[in-house]
Amino acid sequence: MSAFQELVSRYQQKVFMVILGLLRNREDALEVAQETFFRAYRKIKSFQGGSSFYTWLYRIAVNIAIDAQRRQKRNPLDFRESMDDILEARNEVARDPFADVHDKELRVKLIQAINDLTPEHRAVIVLRTLEGLSYKDIGEVLGCSEGTVMSRLHYARKKLQQRLRAFL
Amino acid sequence: MNSCGEIRESIGAWLDGELPRAGADAVRSHLETCRACAEERRQLEKLNVAMRDALDSQAFHLDAQPFWHDLRRRIAARRPWYADLAEWVGPRIRAPSFAWAVPAVIVLLIGALYLDVIFPGWGVGSPRNNFTTVESIDAYGRNVALLREHESKTTVIWLYQNPDSENEALGEINDKGPAF
Repeated sequence: MSAFQELVSRYQQKVFMVILGLLRNREDALEVAQETFFRAYRKIKSFQGGSSFYTWLYRIAVNIAIDAQRRQKRNPLDFRESMDDILEARNEVARDPFADVHDKELRVKLIQAINDLTPEHRAVIVLRTLEGLSYKDIGEVLGCSEGTVMSRLHYARKKLQQRLRAFL
Repeated sequence: MNSCGEIRESIGAWLDGELPRAGADAVRSHLETCRACAEERRQLEKLNVAMRDALDSQAFHLDAQPFWHDLRRRIAARRPWYADLAEWVGPRIRAPSFAWAVPAVIVLLIGALYLDVIFPGWGVGSPRNNFTTVESIDAYGRNVALLREHESKTTVIWLYQNPDSENEALGEINDKGPAF
């Protein structure tokens, strides 16, 4: 159990951030992160070592998060509240209102645009942008080929670019 | 890979360092000469930076101890059998390798319905009624019955008069008087 605790402490923050990037809601992300490590604990014997441990762990996390995402049809109000919670937690709400207006607007619009992507497209964006995973690793996490990863990334970026053309 | 369309499809992968050497060289040399594609590159680079910033803005530090405490409690607790079953069945049902299952089931069902046609004389499939269709149409006091018999492929058209409907029809004719 102590070895597993070591693994949890090493990966919990990364796994949590990937899930938060997919779900946008801290409570849901926390629940999914718990479930991810719970399933990893139960299935640790089935880990063959064919892939690296973190891609195996991310695969569990992304599968649960995508399932949760399909079930959770959050309305825009919930989403805005979640974003405000996050910004407030970082003490960014009380900052000078004239500072970084453009960047903040871009950030909020971008998160909304990412939120409107399909779960599969959002997953490639989060895994590439947050974690900097290679296409090969993303393919292993999502169970698809590198070509599919490249095509999904291209499509997702195109979508975001079209939505944010005025800011780019 | 020389057209602007092909190059633009590859700029993202090129920025990610995921293109093979030949592809990367083609993109690089094209961007040096094409202003429109260079603008596309600039937008994608800005988008990448903005995405990193936006996703990093959500960063929230997870407290290790409460997380581990909750996880330990979850591991120690017994889960209901249906939770384990759902966990086992879920990914298998959604697996792309099962995409063939739906058309396969449809073909099997159609096959089961027409088993007697596919394998005649084997005594399989749903039993057939010898007279499969009887249609009756009331046409001015006369009934028309249509019987189709499958084994001999015979169709019988039967015209007959129903006494009651005949009387009703005659009554109507009598009420109206001669029809000529």
